[in-house]
Amino acid sequence: MDLSHCNAAPGREFFFGTDALGRDIFSMIWHGGRISLLVGVLATAISTVLAVLVGSASGCAPAWADGVLMRLTELVLSVPGLLLTVFLQAVLGGTDAFCLSVVIGLTGWMSMAKVVRTEVLQLKNTDYVLAARCLGGGFFHVLFRHMVPNFVPSVLFMAVMNVRNAIVAEATLSFMGLGLPVETVSWGSMLSLSQDALLTRSWWTILIPGVFLAGTLLCLTNLGDYMRKSASKRHSNLK
Amino acid sequence: MKKGYPVKLLKETLKFTLSVLVLSVLVFGMSRLAPGDPLYAYYGERVEKMSVVEQEQARARLGLDEPLPGQYVRWFRGAVHGDFGISYQYKTDVKEVIAARIGNTLLLGGLGFFLVFALAPLLGIFCAWREDKAVDRLICRIGTVTSCIPEFWLSLLLLLVFAVWLGWLPSSGAYSVGKEGSLADRAAHLILPLAVVVLGHLWYYAFQVRNRLLEEVRADYVLLARMKGMSGRQVLYRHCMRGVLPSYLSMMALALPHILGGTYVVETVFSYPGIGTLAYESARYQDYNLLMVVSLFTGTLVILCNMAARIVSERIDPRMRARGGVDGGEVRRL
Repeated sequence: MDLSHCNAAPGREFFFGTDALGRDIFSMIWHGGRISLLVGVLATAISTVLAVLVGSASGCAPAWADGVLMRLTELVLSVPGLLLTVFLQAVLGGTDAFCLSVVIGLTGWMSMAKVVRTEVLQLKNTDYVLAARCLGGGFFHVLFRHMVPNFVPSVLFMAVMNVRNAIVAEATLSFMGLGLPVETVSWGSMLSLSQDALLTRSWWTILIPGVFLAGTLLCLTNLGDYMRKSASKRHSNLK
Repeated sequence: MKKGYPVKLLKETLKFTLSVLVLSVLVFGMSRLAPGDPLYAYYGERVEKMSVVEQEQARARLGLDEPLPGQYVRWFRGAVHGDFGISYQYKTDVKEVIAARIGNTLLLGGLGFFLVFALAPLLGIFCAWREDKAVDRLICRIGTVTSCIPEFWLSLLLLLVFAVWLGWLPSSGAYSVGKEGSLADRAAHLILPLAVVVLGHLWYYAFQVRNRLLEEVRADYVLLARMKGMSGRQVLYRHCMRGVLPSYLSMMALALPHILGGTYVVETVFSYPGIGTLAYESARYQDYNLLMVVSLFTGTLVILCNMAARIVSERIDPRMRARGGVDGGEVRRL
């Protein structure tokens, strides 16, 4: 914090310039990245565990329980995300990175749970699951030995995409003033000063954190795409 | 279809009503249980100067002193008669507040949805036809990059370039003061938000179309059609597109609430007077009645679109009907 150097353009002293509060953006980028990535990974861990639990429970349960679980999932999906976030945040009563990860994790498991359920439903009708059951394999044996290895690839892909979504969610929430406060440095909360930056024309406060954010997201997307592509490769019949 | 059409219609209507009802209870409970004082929304900073007695009187006048179930019943009674109460923040009927803004959101979201809906298949077919050629790779690369950019940052960038540096386009609002009727002025205000909405969603759907088409192209019937002497282009349009269409339509039905929801963030950045800014304000300042209507509006949209997606795919693709729904209906063995 150095108020005599607020809104300084990038130069020899401050590589990426300083923001409206006189903070050096270069050092904040590296420091803030840790929070952004932490929130992304933590939120994904929470949502993935929830999704696999709900999804496989729903896939294996009798029809009525499956119906109830899926209706419940759809209901959570139809509550506006903004309201859910504000509510959860108020209940948890904190604005630190950990609370925010829990909030994002709790609001992001629904679509993945649906995918897991569909996978489980398909898998449990396969012949090898039947064979394993006939050979006397118990429920948990079948689940972990035969089913989990089968749906891991698609869950892994979705998990990588969820890391991406969680990072975007953190940035968007912090930008709108609903996530991390300005004092907690992350790429999102750095961008929350950008409305003022538009007025003072200090482009570096907007451009630089965003470039790092988008770059990270691009890397995650490429990782996810690679995972998906390595699954199937066949030749076109069209030409 | 063993059951008659009316029975099915009744069942769907019942399901819909039940979903909306449960949703309203959920939103109602959640908004009231969250900490925060709605009196702030109504009186602003003056609350702090009011005595306890005055605060209690104000609460009683707004009907906030009853127990929760009582409040819900009262709200519900009003709602079925078309009376959703007043907005604490704007001090007028909620319907008026919403009516003044819903047009803007529908214009932005609707136009964005229409553009995505029309452009995504075109782009998808274009890429699928040139699979793994330089053009396809280039478009895929650019598309991946644009889909990675968070919407709010894209808005900021466009604002920075077109409104601040170049000064070509206005930076906020839906129209300039005094030029409410001018169409050109409206359009100028719409360009940037619309660009963000379309750019943010287009590639995702175009890429889905491209991938589905590429799967379809590998099917055996394509080989047969080629042997009959149809050109590749004919096969692509007549056969492959037909295979992709059901999933595309149901995907787009699910995309509608997604795109409308996406406009919320964009609206906030551009200070565009729409439902999004309202939702944000009302959730933040405990403007209960407004929040209920806005949430029910989006929630109903989601439920309706989910239903539409299922029905559309069942109508177009008879296999779905035979199997009894998109998912579910499988033989249960485990």
